[in-house]
Amino acid sequence: MHLWPAFLRLDGMDGSMKAGVMRMRFAPYVEFAKKAFAREATYRMEVATEVGSLVLRVYLLRSLWTALYAQNAAPMNLPLHSMITYATVALLMSLILEVDGTRLIREKLREGSIATDLMKPISVPFYFFSDGIGQTGLHAVLVIPSLLFSLLLVHIDVPSPAVLGAFALSFALGYCVNFFINFLMNSIAFWTLETFAIQLIVRWVSDLLSGQIIPLMFFPGVLGRLVVALPFAAVYSTPLLIYVGVIPPSGWASAFAVQIAWLVSFAALSSLVWRAGARRVVIQGG
Amino acid sequence: MVAAYLQYWRINILTMLEYRANFIMWFAFSIVYHGVALGALFVTMRQFPSMNGWSFRDMFFLYALWMTGHELHNTLFFNVVSVPDYVREGRFDRFLVRPLDTLFQVLTVPSQTMPDSLILAIVTLCVATAVAGVHVDPRFVIGVTLVVIGGSLIDLGISLVVATISFWFVRVDTLRWVVMSLEQDFTRYPISIYARGVRIVLAFIFPFAFMNYFPATYFLQKAETGLHLNPAVGLLTPAIGLAWFGVSYAFWRFGLRHYQGTGS
Repeated sequence: MHLWPAFLRLDGMDGSMKAGVMRMRFAPYVEFAKKAFAREATYRMEVATEVGSLVLRVYLLRSLWTALYAQNAAPMNLPLHSMITYATVALLMSLILEVDGTRLIREKLREGSIATDLMKPISVPFYFFSDGIGQTGLHAVLVIPSLLFSLLLVHIDVPSPAVLGAFALSFALGYCVNFFINFLMNSIAFWTLETFAIQLIVRWVSDLLSGQIIPLMFFPGVLGRLVVALPFAAVYSTPLLIYVGVIPPSGWASAFAVQIAWLVSFAALSSLVWRAGARRVVIQGG
Repeated sequence: MVAAYLQYWRINILTMLEYRANFIMWFAFSIVYHGVALGALFVTMRQFPSMNGWSFRDMFFLYALWMTGHELHNTLFFNVVSVPDYVREGRFDRFLVRPLDTLFQVLTVPSQTMPDSLILAIVTLCVATAVAGVHVDPRFVIGVTLVVIGGSLIDLGISLVVATISFWFVRVDTLRWVVMSLEQDFTRYPISIYARGVRIVLAFIFPFAFMNYFPATYFLQKAETGLHLNPAVGLLTPAIGLAWFGVSYAFWRFGLRHYQGTGS
């Protein structure tokens, strides 16, 4: 508990002391992230398999969309090169978005070690977030070889710096929305330990409804309007549609606003669920 | 051995009755897993009605054929997929000191396996057969049953190879996952959309094309445009399944001789 008193006295300190305390405040989380990065990097064969599988998938999507575009009219002004760009960028994004730092919640609840974590002078949800960031860090590094190999197979459109910037911002928002969706899913473990099937169900459904597999505008009629209104669209669809230009600059502001709205609501919900869950652990005595 | 096998199913059923909620959740996942694949195919093919001459109805049948073989594998042989876990946890070693065949022992570790997904697959295959307008006669029923059995053996071969690799490389979770999902992805489409090299790999090296593409071409009376073979090769699936299983079983035995355990 030694960190807390110092950090509560923050207001009464001079600048250099404040900086020192801030470092202390964030240092543990940086360490958590570094540890997660190192842990993931240990398994070299896993890493190589992941890159290899991604490249095979890029090949698959090229074959698929090329065959479909060769025999049918291009739908909705989305030419083949945009479609291939969309699908490839979606795959590269999935390298990062499929990381689930909050999986630890479930594991720790199962083993009971969550109790000692709750006693530590750290914010446990933020610990999961930094662990996720560390794993993401490794996967972000993997994007580079994956991208290079992919470029041997497909041509990816590169938009203007402004569009890339908007994409990056939207992707960051999507990453956070995704974090909280995972967080909520894993928090179900506070109430029942058999959550793995529920999680897989949500993940599968979200792959389809987030626009990762196919662009959401391919969904017909009411279904199309419904999938765009769901939170999953904020994870993949919004950044990708900004990237390929289906969402023009004039639509960026409202697209970000929707993502932020989902982010804020899920963050609020997560904090409620976490508090209720942590109280449950305390009542049960771990 | 037969008695031991029957006991295995008895324990599975008792386990299922004990963990009913869990059983229902996993069945729901099965529906979602295949539902998402078919849903994505349906939405895509509303925009693009033809894939190298295959309509959504044809593709539905193609998928259902793979699904049934795959689910038969999952029902009878899923424990092979768990071998890497046994190896890592040191539980595999006990099979080696018992007098029964190692593979048989692996297949009869009590698990939560039930034939629910297989039933789902058979129902899906029946629906797909009707939707695709395949002519159903006794010859078709026998043919499709043999194809499904052969398909499950092809799947078993792959599972055995991955399991054997885990004797040397302990952590193969990603490989196992990747192989499973790539198999589902690459078998979903007619092989004519791939480059020639990939078609040959899918037909003759990892013979997934025999799980569904070749038999579907035959049953749907389509021309085989991938490798320009006689569509009747689709009926060779049971033989290919046996051969591929034989090769992978030999690899498994080879692996067993070199197995050293993890020391855990």
